[in-house]
Amino acid sequence: MAKCLKASFPQKCIGCELCVLEAQRQLKKVGLEGALIRILRNKKDDKEFLEYSIDMDARINSLDIESIRSVCPTEVFEILNEDAHELG
Amino acid sequence: MNSVSKKVLFINLDKSTSEVKTFPDLHKYIGGVALGLKLYELYQNEDPLIFSIGPLNGFFPFISKTSVVFETDGLIEDVYFGGYLSSRLRFSDLDSLIIFGRASQPVILDLQNESVSFREDDAPHNSLGLPGKRSFLGIVKKQPLLDDYFLSPESGLGQKFEKKRLAGLSVTGTAVYTPKDMDKYTTVYKQLLARTKEVGAEHGFFPSCSGCPMGCAKSNLGEVGGNVLSHSLVACGFAENIYTDVGTVFSCLNILGYDYTHEDIENLPILVQNVLKNLG
Repeated sequence: MAKCLKASFPQKCIGCELCVLEAQRQLKKVGLEGALIRILRNKKDDKEFLEYSIDMDARINSLDIESIRSVCPTEVFEILNEDAHELG
Repeated sequence: MNSVSKKVLFINLDKSTSEVKTFPDLHKYIGGVALGLKLYELYQNEDPLIFSIGPLNGFFPFISKTSVVFETDGLIEDVYFGGYLSSRLRFSDLDSLIIFGRASQPVILDLQNESVSFREDDAPHNSLGLPGKRSFLGIVKKQPLLDDYFLSPESGLGQKFEKKRLAGLSVTGTAVYTPKDMDKYTTVYKQLLARTKEVGAEHGFFPSCSGCPMGCAKSNLGEVGGNVLSHSLVACGFAENIYTDVGTVFSCLNILGYDYTHEDIENLPILVQNVLKNLG
């Protein structure tokens, strides 16, 4: 069954971009242009801390997603079976 | 990437102009505070505000600070910010950014790689740069605030922004690099990333600097003072144990194609001392 990467716990994201850089390295690149993951910062006026959102291109699943999952220091990602992801 | 010279973006607030210059003779200053101080020496009569990164910023973990050199109350200050600014300057393919003069009215500088737009100070922040690829240094309560979280370690920089009528600085970088030996680069990157136990900060869930897995409680505080080599690479002060090791630094530079020798790295403090002597 096909596996897919899901940002199941975005509230744990600290914005370090290690996932972005790991995905880019797998594509033989260092930089942000054309990245299959983007980390977007959101500052809410009524909150002390920042929140981050994680935008992922579906093509991310053609990469070594276990390496992307494991590079995250705060365990934001899960690897799911594709069917489960569609249902979830 | 400039492996044999330093690329500097000059911005003149008086004239609302910008220009990129390349300096082969500044290559030996490596980057960060060493490069910033040398540029200050060259342009000290023009009240420069100088942001500099080092050759490893954006490429390796725990190297996520930006050096800022400027004069305040007759003293030359060097301060260090975390956040995303260093990686965005790297991906703008710049080594330094120098801001001269004073704007006729409050202005936000909106940089995309080498291109500069002079925006009014009420420009919506979400209209600046590109999402996910920008860093924004703004002024909140007269103090610089980087990426909505990271602070300047002292007050002089806020005064300098006010004096220059600089209301903000947005930097977006879209350059992409491919190291010649990608496999070796990846191996060394992962070896360094595994050395978190040598970093003098506790893991946390606070906003982290780009390329740093620590999420430490002190990431937002900025730095003053410290080791010349570490501040020339503009590494995090908590990673000084890693990035003051000449062998490690040489390996990282070599993988990226820089021609620095061990002696170039070892002699950097002497170069900085000489610049400081010239500045009196």
